[in-house]
Amino acid sequence: MSVLARSVGNAFRNKVRTAAVVAVLAVAIGLALAMLVANQAVTGKVAELNASVGTVLTVNPAGGQGFEGGGEPLTSAQAVTAAAVPNVSSVVGTKALRLRNAAEIAAQAASGRTGQGGPGGQSATSVTTSLRAAIDAGTLGNRNQGTTGTSGSTAQAAPAFSLPVTATGIGAEIDADGKALQLTKGTGLGNYTGASTGALLGTTLAEKNGLSVGSTFTIQDKTFTVKGLFDAGTAFGNNALYVTLPTAQTLAALPGELSTMIVTVNSMENVDAAKTALQAALGSSKADVTQGQRNLQTAVSSLDSVKNISFIAFVAALGTAGLIILLIMVMLVRERRREIGVLKAIGAPNRTIGLQFVLEALVLVALGSVVGAAVASLASGSIASALISSSGSTGAATGRRGFPGGPGGAFGGASQLLTSVTASASPGVIATGIAAVFGVAIIGALVPALLTARIRPIEVLRGE
Amino acid sequence: MIEVKNLVRTFKSGDRTIKPVNDVSFELERGTLASIVGKSGSGKSTLLSLLGALDKPTSGDVVVNGVSLAGMPDGKLTNYRRRDIGFVFQQFNLIPNLSALDNVMLPMEFAGVRKAARAERARQLLAQVQLDPDKHVRRINRLSGGEQQRVAIARALANEPKLILADEPTGNLDEQTGEHIIDLLSTLSRDHNTTILVVTHDRALANKTDRRFRLQQGRLTEETVRPGATAAVTGSAPASPDGSGLTGPDLSGPDLTSPAVRTA
Ligand SMILES: Nc1ncnc2c1ncn2[C@@H]1O[C@H](COP(=O)(O)OP(=O)(O)OP(=O)(O)O)[C@@H](O)[C@H]1O
Ligand SMILES: [Mg+2]
Repeated sequence: MSVLARSVGNAFRNKVRTAAVVAVLAVAIGLALAMLVANQAVTGKVAELNASVGTVLTVNPAGGQGFEGGGEPLTSAQAVTAAAVPNVSSVVGTKALRLRNAAEIAAQAASGRTGQGGPGGQSATSVTTSLRAAIDAGTLGNRNQGTTGTSGSTAQAAPAFSLPVTATGIGAEIDADGKALQLTKGTGLGNYTGASTGALLGTTLAEKNGLSVGSTFTIQDKTFTVKGLFDAGTAFGNNALYVTLPTAQTLAALPGELSTMIVTVNSMENVDAAKTALQAALGSSKADVTQGQRNLQTAVSSLDSVKNISFIAFVAALGTAGLIILLIMVMLVRERRREIGVLKAIGAPNRTIGLQFVLEALVLVALGSVVGAAVASLASGSIASALISSSGSTGAATGRRGFPGGPGGAFGGASQLLTSVTASASPGVIATGIAAVFGVAIIGALVPALLTARIRPIEVLRGE
Repeated sequence: MIEVKNLVRTFKSGDRTIKPVNDVSFELERGTLASIVGKSGSGKSTLLSLLGALDKPTSGDVVVNGVSLAGMPDGKLTNYRRRDIGFVFQQFNLIPNLSALDNVMLPMEFAGVRKAARAERARQLLAQVQLDPDKHVRRINRLSGGEQQRVAIARALANEPKLILADEPTGNLDEQTGEHIIDLLSTLSRDHNTTILVVTHDRALANKTDRRFRLQQGRLTEETVRPGATAAVTGSAPASPDGSGLTGPDLSGPDLTSPAVRTA
């Protein structure tokens, strides 16, 4: 019989009491684990949101915001200025083109309609292509693309428009939000700062035109090869293609001109300062600096409060577990006072007796953890959803506005968060939580274990 | 060798002070088998607990092989109890939820004896105190008083102590088993040079000891050894059922302490 065997034996000396203690411990431990899982999920979500868009600033030509284009275009020289602003880690220029199907333009010209018209992107230049758009214009498309609303009757009689295809020259393998492109097939374009006849196509656009990696198509009668396919996640986003920045500038015959600049700031804390500095460096009459997702701040701060609440609850539940252990062990030490005296009388060192009690406490905690982990994995989903809904609908932040051409609803609401909460109940998180529980239990058990050192062996010679 | 010097232990009960041990001095050579008799409440258990370092004296000192217990820190006293002392408690003080075997193995565990060796020796010791083998693995609280007493004796012998302090070790035993225990103790003192101090009301046991002490109101006096003169021990001690006193069973039993010896 070893110290450990004796501890295990002692833990089951009073089975009814052991069952009760384990049940109470399991509730506390289960709650602690559930809170940790919720906390990890929210922390992960916040980090993800911050990482994805939180540090990206967008620079548009002054007055170019929205559909009513105006002002002077941005230039490569301004990109150099922007890159010199403190805390700016990268500046990527883009040049947007509106691609119209050459055959359709010809047909429209024949029917007396001007192909060009309607509200365009702020500084998009229209060029012809062999591609057909993946989206049917529909009522919205016709209204938007038709001659600016003066002759509605002609629109009804005329053949339906198709939407233009958005082609964007990019200076790095990122989309308009500064996020890395999700390539589903093929490779990237390699060097994005040099001219290239390669292009990346949205999946639906490629499908519509029967193209795959290696196929060719034309823009302005120049032949381009499909190097890769990407999935932007939206119908609009996938009705688009990317070429390198110099290529787009050449196609538009506007070398050195940029539609937008995507500026990445080195950290979340520096975004506000960098935004002010950038605006000052470029001049407010020349450029507008906007933060991609303004209401992200609200979403993040509301998630932050969920994070804090769950962390406090985790610590509280952990403390409760420690307190339960402390109280039960104090009780056991008092109850076995005489026995402890006997062990000392026959020469047991204090540390052996202390160890025996700590191990006994750990046996109880181990049982509580097993039951608690089971409870937590069942309960963490509903606890997290309760937390999130109680923190208000701001947690389920809606998509972004103010940046035409980008996918809406960049991050999801509560349901998506819940998916990640469930996913966060990973063995790693549970193991971390259980390690914390054991740490607290050792501290809780140490106090009564140290109390045993004060029991004097003579106690055994006195009756109860 | 153990020297007891002017040992005093007082207790306060209300406004009265009782002195169960009042200026006790004596010496015991190694290998001596000694007994203490005295009325109930005369302080015998109190004196034994002072010698066994379970309690600390109000004044005076116990010197064991030249080492004084008086100034010893608690950790050293624990080592002393583990290595040098075998204590048989008046109330046995076994661990109730452990088996007889586990109880006997405990002091060896604290002394760092390997598990297999512990079990082997514990079985031998239990056999020597004549506990049925089928009761070795039985939990203590399912053993009779006399069986528990024998387990307590076996436990006291576990670490081959130099000094055995036994508080009425035969109090719960029938005459025959009691005599066997007496023989066991005699053999230990004679063949293993173990010093043994026994508190007893048992005339037969007292008569077999080399030296006999009497504790009376905290004062210790030694009785002169006059073979056959059992009447020398008088007073409160219950009369021996037989007057024979010294004639005991054959003392040449098996070697009781060596782990190498198996008992049949
Ligand atoms: N902790 C204590 N506090 C107060 N008084 C005590 C304490 N321990 C013992 N005594 C008293 O000291 C006296 C001696 O007790 P002790 O147990 O030594 O007697 P004893 O000789 O062993 O008696 P018995 O033969 O009945 O076992 C008794 O009067 C007892 O009440
Ligand atoms: Mg006594």
